[in-house]
Amino acid sequence: MQKVLSYKDFVLKIKNIYGENSYLFLPNLDNTYTKVSFNDEVNIEEKSLNKIRMVDPLKTFFFKTKEDILNFEKENFFQIIVGVKSCDITALKILDKIFLNKDYVDPLYRFYRARTLIVSSDCPKPEKNCFCNLVGGEPYPVDGYDLNLSYVEEGRYILSSGSKKGDEIIEKYFSDFNDPYKDDIVKSDNLRILAKQFLNENNKDYFLDIEDYYKIVKDGYDLEDNWKSESITCVQCGGCNFICPSCYCFLIRENSESYEQQFRDKVWDVCHSTGYGRVAGGGNARKYKFQRFRNRYQCKFVYRKENFDMYACTGCGRCIDVCPGKIDIRKVIKNLSCSVRVIDKV
Amino acid sequence: MKNIYTPITAKIVKIINETANIKTFTFKRLDGEKFPFSTGQFIELTVFGIGEAPFTPSSSPFETEMIDVTIMRAGRMTEVLHSMKEGDIVGLRGPYGNGYPVKDFKDKEILIIGGGVGLAPLRSLLLTLFATMNDYKKVVLSYGSKTPQDIVYKYLFPEWRKIKGLEIMRSVDKCQEGEWDETTGVVTCLLDKVNVNIKNSVAVVCGPPIMMKFTTIKLIGMGYKPEQIYLSMERNMSCGLGKCGHCQIGSYFICKDGPVFTWEQLKNIPEPFE
Repeated sequence: MQKVLSYKDFVLKIKNIYGENSYLFLPNLDNTYTKVSFNDEVNIEEKSLNKIRMVDPLKTFFFKTKEDILNFEKENFFQIIVGVKSCDITALKILDKIFLNKDYVDPLYRFYRARTLIVSSDCPKPEKNCFCNLVGGEPYPVDGYDLNLSYVEEGRYILSSGSKKGDEIIEKYFSDFNDPYKDDIVKSDNLRILAKQFLNENNKDYFLDIEDYYKIVKDGYDLEDNWKSESITCVQCGGCNFICPSCYCFLIRENSESYEQQFRDKVWDVCHSTGYGRVAGGGNARKYKFQRFRNRYQCKFVYRKENFDMYACTGCGRCIDVCPGKIDIRKVIKNLSCSVRVIDKV
Repeated sequence: MKNIYTPITAKIVKIINETANIKTFTFKRLDGEKFPFSTGQFIELTVFGIGEAPFTPSSSPFETEMIDVTIMRAGRMTEVLHSMKEGDIVGLRGPYGNGYPVKDFKDKEILIIGGGVGLAPLRSLLLTLFATMNDYKKVVLSYGSKTPQDIVYKYLFPEWRKIKGLEIMRSVDKCQEGEWDETTGVVTCLLDKVNVNIKNSVAVVCGPPIMMKFTTIKLIGMGYKPEQIYLSMERNMSCGLGKCGHCQIGSYFICKDGPVFTWEQLKNIPEPFE
């Protein structure tokens, strides 16, 4: 189902469809969110919708840095997140597979997931560290959203539904708006093509066959010299882990007052930290920095690929932005691919 | 729906001092319900306000009213646990993971190799096997500890030695003169003396990582195939539910896919023993 409208029209409508205890998150020009309650004034910046993903990954709405996993129920809670990008939606699929799998369902994650409306938008202007195209992604959402806003021109967006929930909302609140004209669709499709062209051009030095990411990172496991040299500037701050939209590791921190008053926090943890692989008695599964550095790549491109048949890297580029050691995941893999191919030839 | 992270409360009903830094705790649920598990599965044990850590029960799975866990004092949480008294309350979650595939051991010669406190999960396995000893060709227990003082379940060995079909061999790394009349040396040297038909045998190994590594190498050298070697893997599982990531080893989550693995499953996995 599709409609055509302005961003302002969309926000003013969507803001009032849920009541008290529901929150609307609107993007700002500096890639952060403003949290809006249903009766707050809103500041609508259309340009913010056309920017790339937020600084904070989408996971922060479902899997907070620290939250009590035993006491979290909030009455009538609901959140609408506007301006979610394709790379973050793909990462959410990994989180779903971890937290909502058939064996065990994480109740905290499920709570937020069931009470969230995802309103995504295209990326008409990818930036220099964006590389979704290298890992099979597109600069616009393909699925996994409830509603999507595709840019046509100033003051004009195509609103599409991507879920049953989305269908219901369009039917109930947006039926007065026009269906898009053919011209709108052509314009928006052209912008998508231009964005892809930019990504291909910008990342041409790093291009590998999509299947090769798995093969190269797996085959490159033993190339210790590569991993050591790539991780020289790594200071193990864990920034890449924390800001990654698909990194899901956490620690349970027991905080109970007593057995009658139980509290325990689910706290983000990172595989770059020395203590992550430590066991009782002082053993450590990954003692050295290069092993922990390597583990992150193995996790993203080999282990999760084997588990879920998808990469746990979606090309959002946040780890490149955040790294104080100027480590670029694209370059690390490109360099590794050169070493792996040299060995293949020998 | 029950919250998967909420522990069940249980009372410490008995504490046995095994060695200077190892105690066996017996727990009973406060609500009087049973705590069923299968041998080799693990539980998450909570000391409220202090921490939670994974342990494998050492009692028989046929005993479901109470559960024994043998614990070495090795960190912050076990330090506090060791100071607790009978009657104190702890939390339990689980059981988690896959235990020993005892059914597959039928009609086989079972070689069990334990190191130090690694005998704890193996005691649970032994107690399981004892219930149906006629189902197995024989059971051989090779147990190594640092010194004679570090042996756990000292009081059980006299009884165990009477069990038909069970052979016991023990070694200590070092000892004072005259205090030990069994083998001296690391546990792998016991394997030179083992008399088993390897073709019809399985080996079950549990102990510190370094011991598991060298025992596996030794077993392969003796002619065991990777699929005949069962290892109880150790990592610091935090959630126990295949989510938190701490126990990942290659694409496996030890808590969900293990903790018992065959060497066949692990041989191509990076960093199996740290």
